[in-house]
Amino acid sequence: MNEPVKSTRIPIVERVLEANDQLAATVRTDLERRGIFAVDIIGAPGSGKTALLEATLRALKGRRRPAVLVGDLATRRDGDRLAKWCDQVVQISTGQGCHLEAGQVRDALAQVDLTRVDLLLIENVGNLICPVGFDLGQAAKVGVFAVTDGDDKAAKHPYLVQAADVLLLNKIDLLPYVPFDRSVFEADVRLLNATVPMLDVSSTTGEGLDGWVAWLERGADSARGS
Amino acid sequence: MHEFSIAEALATQILRHAPAGRRVREVEITVGALRGLEPEAMKMCWEAVTHDTSLAGSVLVMDMRPWTLTCPACGRAWESPVPFAECTCGEASPRPTAGDELDLVSMTVDDDDDAAAAEAETR
Repeated sequence: MNEPVKSTRIPIVERVLEANDQLAATVRTDLERRGIFAVDIIGAPGSGKTALLEATLRALKGRRRPAVLVGDLATRRDGDRLAKWCDQVVQISTGQGCHLEAGQVRDALAQVDLTRVDLLLIENVGNLICPVGFDLGQAAKVGVFAVTDGDDKAAKHPYLVQAADVLLLNKIDLLPYVPFDRSVFEADVRLLNATVPMLDVSSTTGEGLDGWVAWLERGADSARGS
Repeated sequence: MHEFSIAEALATQILRHAPAGRRVREVEITVGALRGLEPEAMKMCWEAVTHDTSLAGSVLVMDMRPWTLTCPACGRAWESPVPFAECTCGEASPRPTAGDELDLVSMTVDDDDDAAAAEAETR
């Protein structure tokens, strides 16, 4: 009769996403050295990320030198839309991937002339969960919620609410037409994150865009000064 | 499904750490509540990414860390699987906090001979 195989438990202290985090740190160091302010924009499919970026690029025209990375599962449509407003747009097709990873950002940045950039806008794959846990080397995370998605989305996505450096409430022009209880949404956000700035925006009417663009420009100014 | 990417990253990590020729029996990770990982989905993904590798058949053990809720009214603090829950004092909005740790803690490997076992025990 065989004796049961003995085994040994080997303790290891390491983060599971260590490899991604190291790549992200390399990207971050390079962007900071160049004085580029990078934001990772995270929101659900249909929350209006691409339309918001179109409006943002329009507002930044002649004021800043942006580059855009767009993550998408399969199509190039978002990239094509944004190329009308910005001459440095790189589409990252993630295939089955539900989020961007630092290696994809590093590879995409190799296609950008970074000497002509002071602001990097990264539109993550439409998803409120997966992208939050993957550091891309950004300076700030931007969470996008839309009033059409329902007022429970903050409570259902605590990681994004807690990790975000700014939260945008998009499609604010539609607020009178949808059952979105703003006080519920705000109370949930504040329980999870007492200090994150919350900005109302509408890419359609332009409402609130100046506040959002000013937030971006403050970040770009401080990145250049550092 | 971020579970799949995480399982892939974990498998790569374990293959790097595993001593040559020793079968990996168990892998242990700690998961903060903020990560929103589904244990069942994670197990399924672990099986999927390891089935054609030397890690096939290894068991993934997940220590799922709970939320901590703190009541602003009575000051009570307790652990909860969900971020939003009423306090026993009636307060409707205790403050939820949780970690986003996602850490590899240990792996358990079969001993190939007594010498290897003795060596591992003295570490």
